[in-house]
Amino acid sequence: MDNGKETEIIACDAGGTMIDMVIVDKEGNFSIGKSATTPLDQSVGYWSSLCDAYEYWKIDLERESKDILPLVESAVYAGTGMLNVLLTGTGQKVGVITQAGDEDVLLHERARQSYAGYSYQDVLHHVTHRHTDPIVPRKMVKGVTGRIDMFGMEVFPLNEAEVKDAVEDLLDQGVEAIAVCLWYCFLNPSHELSVGEIAKAIIAERRMAVRVHLSHQLAPIIREQARLNTTILNAYAAEPAREQLVKIEQRLHDNGYQRPLQIILSHGGLSNVQYPRLHEATFSGPLGGLLGALHLAPQLGINNWVCSDMGGTSFDVGLITAGEPYMLREVVFARRFFNIPTLSMDSIGAGMGQFVTVDPLSKRPLIGPGSAGAEPGPVSYNAGNEIPTVMDCALIMGILNPDNYLGGKVKLDKPKAFSAIKEQCADPLGVDPYYFAEGITQLINNTMREHIRSVLLARGFSPADYCLIGYGGAGPVHLAGYSDGLPFKGVATVPWAAGFSAFGCAAVDITHRYQKSATVVIPYGVDDDFKMFMGGMMNAAWDELEQQAMGDLKAEGLPWEKAQIKPIAYVRYGGQMEDLEVLSPVNRIRTPQDIDKLLADFDDLYSKVHAGVAQYREAGYHIFEVGLMTVLPKIKPKLIKRSLEDKQPRKDAVKGERDVFANGQWHTAAIYDMDQLRPGNAIDDIAVIEAPATTLFIPPGKHVHMDEWSLLWIT
Amino acid sequence: MSYSKEDLRDLYNGTLPWGQVKEIMSNPKDDDRFDKYIEILQESVLWEERILMPLGEHIFVVEKDGERITKCDCGHEFGDWRQNWKLNALIYVRDDRVKLEEIYPGIRCPDPDICEVREYYCPGCGALLKVESVPVGHPPLFEILPDIDVFYREWLGTPLKHEKEFKDRTYEVTREWGKET
Repeated sequence: MDNGKETEIIACDAGGTMIDMVIVDKEGNFSIGKSATTPLDQSVGYWSSLCDAYEYWKIDLERESKDILPLVESAVYAGTGMLNVLLTGTGQKVGVITQAGDEDVLLHERARQSYAGYSYQDVLHHVTHRHTDPIVPRKMVKGVTGRIDMFGMEVFPLNEAEVKDAVEDLLDQGVEAIAVCLWYCFLNPSHELSVGEIAKAIIAERRMAVRVHLSHQLAPIIREQARLNTTILNAYAAEPAREQLVKIEQRLHDNGYQRPLQIILSHGGLSNVQYPRLHEATFSGPLGGLLGALHLAPQLGINNWVCSDMGGTSFDVGLITAGEPYMLREVVFARRFFNIPTLSMDSIGAGMGQFVTVDPLSKRPLIGPGSAGAEPGPVSYNAGNEIPTVMDCALIMGILNPDNYLGGKVKLDKPKAFSAIKEQCADPLGVDPYYFAEGITQLINNTMREHIRSVLLARGFSPADYCLIGYGGAGPVHLAGYSDGLPFKGVATVPWAAGFSAFGCAAVDITHRYQKSATVVIPYGVDDDFKMFMGGMMNAAWDELEQQAMGDLKAEGLPWEKAQIKPIAYVRYGGQMEDLEVLSPVNRIRTPQDIDKLLADFDDLYSKVHAGVAQYREAGYHIFEVGLMTVLPKIKPKLIKRSLEDKQPRKDAVKGERDVFANGQWHTAAIYDMDQLRPGNAIDDIAVIEAPATTLFIPPGKHVHMDEWSLLWIT
Repeated sequence: MSYSKEDLRDLYNGTLPWGQVKEIMSNPKDDDRFDKYIEILQESVLWEERILMPLGEHIFVVEKDGERITKCDCGHEFGDWRQNWKLNALIYVRDDRVKLEEIYPGIRCPDPDICEVREYYCPGCGALLKVESVPVGHPPLFEILPDIDVFYREWLGTPLKHEKEFKDRTYEVTREWGKET
């Protein structure tokens, strides 16, 4: 087989338990590999996952890597490496220097952090609220006197003697990094810079290798709790995580790969391992699918997408509106707030691995909240778990093939799943096990449908303006079910649904983002002088961010002169709580008309995102944050357009028949091989379409057809 | 759903790791918690009488010779469970600013003209059993008078042998006191 000799892209999604790998060749063929995460040396798990992916192409990578890897155009890494450092407490020993009087900020946590990341039920149950253990113990937090006010003016000078004492004390305690976070440093960083200089002088004097991290250089955004957390995260986890990434890159290079390893950032950008603000890579795994849809959108000419990812434990929904995703600027990871721009995904617990039980008191069937995960997995894995899961229900209903799960790698024990469901759930309720299994499938579909509806409605959108795309290993099994009844323009999935997230990771440019708080207020009808004064403030902020961007790209060894620079403003109407990200139509504000153009673009975007009548120009405009994006294009996987063939699938696409339980009765469903379906093919009856890593179920009354881009549309 | 007895013992001793405690809190109640809880409590005391229900960290309603009494883990007995056991405890009353400030210093101190804090100690072992904060002159709160028979019969489905009349009988003690004076 010639497949894979010309691998174009290697993309990996390193989760907490598994490393998923997708390799894509020049034709767009792909293969998916899986391996357990190896926390001590991630490169081991990475490599075995990669070898696993090549195994499907009948290639022994250990032997042939020197022939194959030099041809690879891009190796992309998405994962939760930094998060794992945080969760396992294996980061560096960090000392903190903060505002005098604010030393307890890591303990009181703005109160909100005591329930950050909780389920809605637990947010309401105060008894479950609890402060997180601080990453930096209180004795390693030092306050220094000095004050910058909310206008960036110095109210009280920095007490340098205190700074010296603080640094000496922290160094005596053996810190490996120092994080500095002072109030309003994003308006006037002079105090932070002085602290940095004093600290560096003392460190040099003592001949130590301690790095100093200044908050205004990492996250110059208002709200000191999130800013401090972000600074600590960078000090605590970035270096250990970087070591791991360097090891992975080294292993790839040792085996012939010639380009840098690229890291997905949580805002959908991309960097290499030398990126100074590596903390932005904290959380990128689940975003892949959103990035994939963003990549598809312009090629398909569809600008509004609801992206839905159903995996083993969670169901994630992200929106693309007018071709743009939503960006969150304050996020929660590991129960802490961070100022890390992150693509917005709304998650609920709904996955194939979730436990199915019957409440002993109310006799109500329950899904979750627990999940069997990949280990021990559903009952049918026969690996120790005895509680039925959503997947076991799909199995006994005949939707999943016990002999062709993950390409036949895992044999599923159907009788065992059946007796677990019968004994634990169906019998106590006095119902037929198949009837129960279908009820659970409908229940989880309803939950996911309501989640999609609420994500759309919360922003004032209607499904009628969107196309839904479903992916993730479990997505296609439930897609027809959870999309049913929502009036989407279209409902689609792709044959490579299980690898769609990794595909998306391979589909981004080398993009960096920078953000900074600002105070720009433009009342309605102000004169040109005032506009230029405000424009000057924005220009100054953009200049500063551009300098920083240039420094970062140079540190990564990337060509600054080839980068596209896109200034951003976060604009809102006066008095509003939420703003929109507007790409500035001009590089800098040079005339009053430039401001008008920027605000007109905002008006336009606002009417697309909300509604034209909601515009409120008379309230004036506020810009409390500006940003800057640098983009270096790179090679991305191509979506290949094929000519349409017959409506009738080829003979070799039909693998046989199987009994499937649906709508309360047994049907004979045709089984198709996903790999053998061709553009133009359509299936009009109940059917199961099997691929190595996923299964698409078409219930009675639904139809599916494959378009020229190989997308499968369900109608 | 069910947890191991070891985990539950750690839970009551406060030594179960927070992650597990949170999980137990967030999950639906386990089926056999009460039985295991009673077993754990029974193993922690030196006397033989069957514990029917705990009333606090140290005191329980127990079955003794066909009667139900309130009993401290040290073995001290307070009498019929339908009579407020506090009447037979040692009582320390914080009713002036000096005494209150030992616990609630500065601005946290309540007004002693309005409020008093009473601490109830076991005459047998001196353990602090309960604290109440009440308006001055308020009778001792009878905090828990459980309807044990209904609980065993209708909730647990295991009725007790000697069912008793369910009635607050604290007045019987105070009436005796009245006769004495």
